[in-house]
Amino acid sequence: MKKTVGFVVRHLVLTFLVVIWLVPILWLLVTSFSAYKGINTAHFFPEQWSLDNYKVLFLQPDSVVQYGAWFKNTLLIAIFTCIVSTSFVLMVSYAMSCLRFKGRKGLMSFGIVLNMFPGVLSMIAVYFVMKSLGLTNSHLGMIIVYSAGSGLGYLITKGFMDTISTSLREAAWLEGASEATIFFKIIIPLSQPIIVYTIINSFLVPWGDFVLAKLMLNSGIATDWTIAIGLFNMLGKSLINKYFSIFCAGGVIVSIPISALFVLMQKFYVEGVTGGSVKG
Amino acid sequence: MKKKVLAALLATSMVAASLVGCGNSGNEAGGASSADNSTAATDNSAAADNSTADSTADNSAAADNSTADSAAADNSAASSDDPVANLIAATTDTVKLTVWASEEDQTLTTQLLEDFKATYPDVTFDITLGSESESTAKDTILADVEAAADVFAFADDQINEMVQAGALQPVAATYTFDVASENVAGSVEAATINGTLYAYPMTADNGYFMFYDASVFSEEDVKSLDKMVEVAEAAGKKIAMDVSNGWYIYAFFQGAGYELTLNEDGSNNCTWNAAGATDVAQAIMDLYGTNVLVDMSDEEMATAIAEGTVVAAVNGTWRAETASDAWGENYSATKLPTFNVAGKECQMSSYSGYKLIGVNPYSANIGWSMLLAEFLTNESAQAARFEARGLGPSNVAAASSDAVQADPAIAALAAQAAYATPQRVGGNFWAPAETLGQILADGSAGSDLQSVLDTAVEGIMAPIE
Amino acid sequence: MKNKKKISGNYFKEFGTAIAKGDLGVKLSLLIMGAGYFARKQIINGLIMIALEAVFIIMCIFYAAPNLAKFGTLGTVQFEQVFDPLTLTSKVNDYDNSFLILLNSIIALFIIGAFILVYIANIKAVYRLQQQKEAGKHINTFREDIRAMLNEKFHITLLSLPCIGIILMNIIPILVLIAIAFTNYDQQHMPPSALFTWVGWKNFKQLFTNSTTLTFGYSFGKILIWTLEWAVLSTLTTFIGGILMAQFINNKKTKLPKMWRTLFMVAIAVPQFVTLLLVRNFFADSGIVNTICSNIGLTDFLKSVGLVSSNLTYIPFLTNPTWAKVMIVLINIWVGVPYQMLIATGVLMNIPVDQLESARIDGASSFQIFWKITMPYVLFITGPSLITDFVRNINNFNVIYLLTQDVYVTSDQLLANSNAKEVDLLVTWLFRLTNEYYDYKIASVIGIIVFIICAGFTLVTFTQTIKGSREEDFR
Repeated sequence: MKKTVGFVVRHLVLTFLVVIWLVPILWLLVTSFSAYKGINTAHFFPEQWSLDNYKVLFLQPDSVVQYGAWFKNTLLIAIFTCIVSTSFVLMVSYAMSCLRFKGRKGLMSFGIVLNMFPGVLSMIAVYFVMKSLGLTNSHLGMIIVYSAGSGLGYLITKGFMDTISTSLREAAWLEGASEATIFFKIIIPLSQPIIVYTIINSFLVPWGDFVLAKLMLNSGIATDWTIAIGLFNMLGKSLINKYFSIFCAGGVIVSIPISALFVLMQKFYVEGVTGGSVKG
Repeated sequence: MKKKVLAALLATSMVAASLVGCGNSGNEAGGASSADNSTAATDNSAAADNSTADSTADNSAAADNSTADSAAADNSAASSDDPVANLIAATTDTVKLTVWASEEDQTLTTQLLEDFKATYPDVTFDITLGSESESTAKDTILADVEAAADVFAFADDQINEMVQAGALQPVAATYTFDVASENVAGSVEAATINGTLYAYPMTADNGYFMFYDASVFSEEDVKSLDKMVEVAEAAGKKIAMDVSNGWYIYAFFQGAGYELTLNEDGSNNCTWNAAGATDVAQAIMDLYGTNVLVDMSDEEMATAIAEGTVVAAVNGTWRAETASDAWGENYSATKLPTFNVAGKECQMSSYSGYKLIGVNPYSANIGWSMLLAEFLTNESAQAARFEARGLGPSNVAAASSDAVQADPAIAALAAQAAYATPQRVGGNFWAPAETLGQILADGSAGSDLQSVLDTAVEGIMAPIE
Repeated sequence: MKNKKKISGNYFKEFGTAIAKGDLGVKLSLLIMGAGYFARKQIINGLIMIALEAVFIIMCIFYAAPNLAKFGTLGTVQFEQVFDPLTLTSKVNDYDNSFLILLNSIIALFIIGAFILVYIANIKAVYRLQQQKEAGKHINTFREDIRAMLNEKFHITLLSLPCIGIILMNIIPILVLIAIAFTNYDQQHMPPSALFTWVGWKNFKQLFTNSTTLTFGYSFGKILIWTLEWAVLSTLTTFIGGILMAQFINNKKTKLPKMWRTLFMVAIAVPQFVTLLLVRNFFADSGIVNTICSNIGLTDFLKSVGLVSSNLTYIPFLTNPTWAKVMIVLINIWVGVPYQMLIATGVLMNIPVDQLESARIDGASSFQIFWKITMPYVLFITGPSLITDFVRNINNFNVIYLLTQDVYVTSDQLLANSNAKEVDLLVTWLFRLTNEYYDYKIASVIGIIVFIICAGFTLVTFTQTIKGSREEDFR
């Protein structure tokens, strides 16, 4: 009897928590199907349901909503950012973890401290550096901005590589393999979980950043934007009352690829995050 | 060790190469403009004289559409008397222009840009239209003036800071119509800083006024705010005004005769803590203390009006639209009411508001940008803007049409115009005024109103070095 | 310290020896960098060095010199423009842009510094070649040099590209920021139309002095305290919340753990800025939550308890200082816990089972097991990342900015006088100062202070990890 009560209570608590966690998401979902374009503050569920918001997103782009173009831009930037960032992180991690050279520890401390520097502070300087290279308002510029400094985020990956047994590398050494061969043939295949973790993290950056993107993509032309700028723009003072439910629809759509990524890679992700320290 | 050198040099040479590349291009530009510089320097005094002469000529011969022509006759250097013809003749390449208009204005502007191209068929244009809200244009433009559009629309409250940052090309001469005389005086005043006209007035409806539901209030009721509060309270409804916003709280203090002016260095001069000002603060506290007059942001007001909890509001045309949809035939608009300061009725003042079009001084095609700015603000463009979006023209002729006169919001703004002043205020005003409004409205200001006002005024008048 | 001096002493001593004992090739390298390589018949290396030197000299003449010449004043020629109404053209003088002078000078100094290092290393390298030659050792061909880059010198190959990126995107911007803190770059002095110049320590003094008109000192103190409070609270709450939730779901008594976990994950699948903007409207003064609370009588109840001031008709979730701070922490829990849960799940799965079993056999309650075994284990594993999270939270721009921007109005007049709000973190305050008030000088000073705080915390924690031999222990 006591057991059943415990069982019920346990699941009731969980259900309660899930409700708290999902209510705002549910609101996002139902509002995205609302026929009323502004914020409905009187009722949780829309009074009239409609698919119009999704139609606007994909079929009737106007000067404010260019969702297709944004999605394409963001995806493009995300894919390349992801490739460059992941390579940089792996390169730095391998050098820091497996190679021994003069000044390594100094570089590592320096890197960690530098990585703590919030990007918001140096944004303006980054902007003018990019401008003098002629890379503002360009996707290449965005990719560089998002990925160039990524080498600093090596800590977790390095931790993971630290756990890969040295004997493997030593054996390869004896067979005459170069460091490059070891890196590509041994370390990378063994680092799969952490690579997935890095890929997800770097892939997500362009989808969520609006501050830097807004500064860098300042031509005012909506088709150049990323999803984050576009959605953020919809909630501006003059637009929010006409675009709130479209914003919600945009939010729902953008979560689809991200959740898919999470679900597909959940296992690796957990392993990647914790792997570094746990395997020891 | 040697290989380390090799790698390091590889790395540095890459950086060096990329930097030298951009350094060079920067230098070329510098070199070119320094070549101009020598000639410019010699011409400098003469040219400066000329341009002032021109602009006075413009003003005196305002009725003449091509005033610059008369001045041109004096100048032997010009190849032709007609500056526009000169410009067309001098233009050989494609003219690349970027225009920023608000999101709501895109369709209309696209049409106007086509018309503009058709007006000058001999020139090839490549005009890009971007969207930038008029209310936030300053933020984007000032972040990097050189990257901003050639021609952009903005609200007149930003003009001080934009002029200060050198982001506006003075309207030194006009070509297709006389901006100063064909627009209502207030709009020209709003676009003028220290005697120089810096922008082209586009609309005259960006100020605020009172709109109300005529089924709740009579025309007599809306003359006094206190009366309105009474009526609304009886009806169980609310009146909204965003007093926790420097733009609106100004209505009370200015209305009661306390001043806020801009000094030349960008700091403010403010008498809101002078003798008797506490009565104004008390009046605001009392009004908001009723909970009938409520402090609501613009976005919240939109919902509240649509839901019917708010039956009167002090706001601009952008929100009046929501009200007109919600209240239908009962939608009415008028000037701001009076309010009671220690037994005396004071007419609420307001900021007049205009939308302007500015030209970027860093534009590569400054001549075409100016012509385009004129085109986007001429009589027919303003008439089209009223037709398409109901925006009140600043152009005298366009504003005198019957349709415009019949618009309640525009009529209300015209009635309020007598009590409205153009916005001349420095950046230090906003945050302290916002907080002053907030604490007066939510009643947390306490009893020592004098010290509250003193602190606010200290912040508003904070020196600028 | 002594050790460092010795190292730097050695560095220059080797350089001196190389010059003194080097042969003609080495000595000629002082002038023509490739000479030493040519002397050893390493033609390609020599050519690369000469090319590098040439590029550097060109860079100095056309880029570094003109900028560095103005570095002391940051430019003297103000933007001037003469408009000719007859031709509709305007003539612009050759004006100085203080910001670009600053930026370019810093880049130039950086390149010069890097070049000097390469220059010294070059001399040493050719001297070493000379020694090798004298000792009759094999001298690498170019191809062998390249191969070495993939082998014993592989770290150079790996690190050069990421380093260039970091220099460009991190180091140079940080140096520019530090420099700006010593200038008067603000709205009155904004390039390109106006110039700014050096003012020394004035901005630092301004931040730490307090008068009634300049309340930066007051605001800085208040915001710093809230920033630290927030960082501690947000880090601990999400961390503990994550572990508890993971523990709860992983418990054998919970049916369908995977389903529950996925449900919580939904909340992080929506990008943070979407959820935060959404939640902001959710809890707005006239938002849906307030409507519901008022309908079920919660608003009136809170009023009667005194949690909501009596003259309000709504719950000021994000508009009253105390409410807003509590809500921000709660919303951050909502955003952060699923993520922490994910990590904690991984950690808990790897917990040594034998320890748990033996504890259970000894008759420990599950509560005791949690506090005595699970928690210490989890803390041991995730301890370092906790510090990282703490520093991240000091700079948690998104949560604060998206929840309070345009919504929260401060009721503290002294804060308002320096454009600050109670709920601001140092980063959001700094962002507002630059983005809305163009007060770059004060923002830079704040930025430097934030950096020092963060760097301090990080260094204290990580020097142990890095300096210690822990990284070798795992293998």
